[in-house]
Amino acid sequence: MPALKNRVVLAARGVKAFLGIEVGLTRGEAPILADEEIRTLHHQVAEKEQEIQALQERISAKSLRAGGVDPEKVVWIFGVARVGSTWLASMMGETEGHAVWNEPRIGSLFGDFYYGRGAHRSGRHGILGGSEEGRSKTIRAFILTAARAKFGRMVDGGYLVIKEPNGSNGAPLLAQALPESRVIFMVRDPRDVAASGLGAALEGGWYAEASKRRGTSKQHSPEDVVEARARRYVEYISRSREAYESHEGPKTLVYYEELRTDTLETMKRIYSDLKMSVAGEEVLRAVEENSWENIPEEKKGPDKFYRKATPGGWREDLTPEQARTVERITAPLLEEFYPA
Amino acid sequence: MPVLRNRVVFEVACGIQAFLGIEAGLVRGEIPPPSAPDGEVAESKDSRAAGRASGMDPGKIVWIFGTGRSGSTWLMNMMAEMPRSSFWNEPKVGNLFGRFHEGAQVGERNSANYILGEPAREGWMPLIRTFVLGSISYRRPRIGANSYLIVKEPNASVGASLLMEALPESRMVLLVRDPRDVVASALDAMRGGSWLFERRSRGKEGRESLADNDTAEAVKRRAMTYRRDIGHAKDAFEAHAGRKALVRYEDLRREPFETLRRVYEDLDIPFDEDDLRAAVEKHSWESIAEEEKGEGKKFRKATPGGWREDLTPDQAQMVEEITAPLLREFYP
Repeated sequence: MPALKNRVVLAARGVKAFLGIEVGLTRGEAPILADEEIRTLHHQVAEKEQEIQALQERISAKSLRAGGVDPEKVVWIFGVARVGSTWLASMMGETEGHAVWNEPRIGSLFGDFYYGRGAHRSGRHGILGGSEEGRSKTIRAFILTAARAKFGRMVDGGYLVIKEPNGSNGAPLLAQALPESRVIFMVRDPRDVAASGLGAALEGGWYAEASKRRGTSKQHSPEDVVEARARRYVEYISRSREAYESHEGPKTLVYYEELRTDTLETMKRIYSDLKMSVAGEEVLRAVEENSWENIPEEKKGPDKFYRKATPGGWREDLTPEQARTVERITAPLLEEFYPA
Repeated sequence: MPVLRNRVVFEVACGIQAFLGIEAGLVRGEIPPPSAPDGEVAESKDSRAAGRASGMDPGKIVWIFGTGRSGSTWLMNMMAEMPRSSFWNEPKVGNLFGRFHEGAQVGERNSANYILGEPAREGWMPLIRTFVLGSISYRRPRIGANSYLIVKEPNASVGASLLMEALPESRMVLLVRDPRDVVASALDAMRGGSWLFERRSRGKEGRESLADNDTAEAVKRRAMTYRRDIGHAKDAFEAHAGRKALVRYEDLRREPFETLRRVYEDLDIPFDEDDLRAAVEKHSWESIAEEEKGEGKKFRKATPGGWREDLTPDQAQMVEEITAPLLREFYP
């Protein structure tokens, strides 16, 4: 049956007048759609829009690759501060076509909130609550968009090494979001980590001096520093291990001590474990250029960023009481990674 | 603005019906989409579940910022009752970004590598936008382009400025309430046995109530939270160039319909007065069951100025001192 539908809108001085008319003749019921029919139509529309969304995601994934950052070529370095991640990242960054993103702290952005503020316990309403799939997709888009914007042209198909020792409290969230990425889990004896942190934080240490310059300096006793470092070690290494163990993509566990003892062979093993093809001579060059011996003497020392790089040095740096504090707090991890 | 909707069906001959539908009105801003007759899904609550796949228009996100215990749940419920509207109750996305940004050390904030470093602000602001819209897309896949999403975020106002900067076309409500009433309400909720205390104590045996053990400290902390939350929300409100409305809880209590109408006008959201009236009536104080109201309950007394009975003079003075600039501005 013929029907007329029309809508007229007139606007003047910010006010709009509208008039809609619908008129017609029909046999049977006037054309009001039954609920069932409307539900079917909504369902069909929803299905089509989901198809569109899936296609958009595929296009988006391709454009991300085309933009230069392939999620498969993202390499995370997890662990905790003072495990030698700067050194490792520097060696990896030497390779042609590789780039290093130094401490974006994306892991902390999500980890502080999710684990630290209990957002993982929040219900479906919470921004990181609900399904793991939804959470991971939004975090994934966040990471890849950020990486593409910052490094897209620079890496252009190469590897992007993201050094995140201080963002490792969110490592599981990052690894879940990019399951095809590569994960390096770096550990070091917690007593050496605490000793290194203590050297930096004490009066005259590089971190204490930097804090002074920024006007954010706080005085803490050595015992407090050691205890805080040990607790941080437990939190960050535990989260890193969780990410490492559940990650299904290429991954490797690296001991700082092993890297110090035989740098070249350890680097070759890392690339092999991660299924990264890097020429032997490039690895050798990167190792040599970033060797401890190549760091100028004036940049090294007990109060400098490059301190002593001596595994077991904690025996000279920590008091027996401080060492016992670290051992007590980190006991399960110490036993797992450094059994007596 | 008045809207007329009518539909007439009559039989003109045996088995033949004529129908005439008329819809007319005056609006500021957007013309409402052609409405469906009563009972159709487009305007029913079912539309929120069965609507179209995600196509959220960022301009139709309405943020409610302020602080806890200021009537934001009530306001959200009324607004979500309106046609083509749904709500998102405390996603705390403001805390996710706001606290991280606020807590950054100077060196981090000045670093271009840091994910929210100032040198790269133009680069990461779109990330927040994408993250929020992506989250809506996954959580509310059926929200359509014509739907409004009321996001209640009173306890995450620390991120209000970042969110409003990331989504400048979205709309914002700044909801304020006398800080003395907010503190009085919060104190009641924090006491042992009260609804909030019990909720937060789940699984934490032996938890003690600060409001009971050190009331002065509890008052001080809550007043400082008020100053922080409302301060952040006010900064965002002032900076937001888009559509926005300032609402005082006391106005909403005294004249809910008129105040809500003004909110919709300020936010430039088309509405039908009958819908608005129905939303106000459905969520009125009187419609809440008596057993759900009272001390220790979520719905306590809803009486502006009730702090005079609830706070001691010393407690009231402490709140007044801590919140002085805001109290002067909103409650001169």
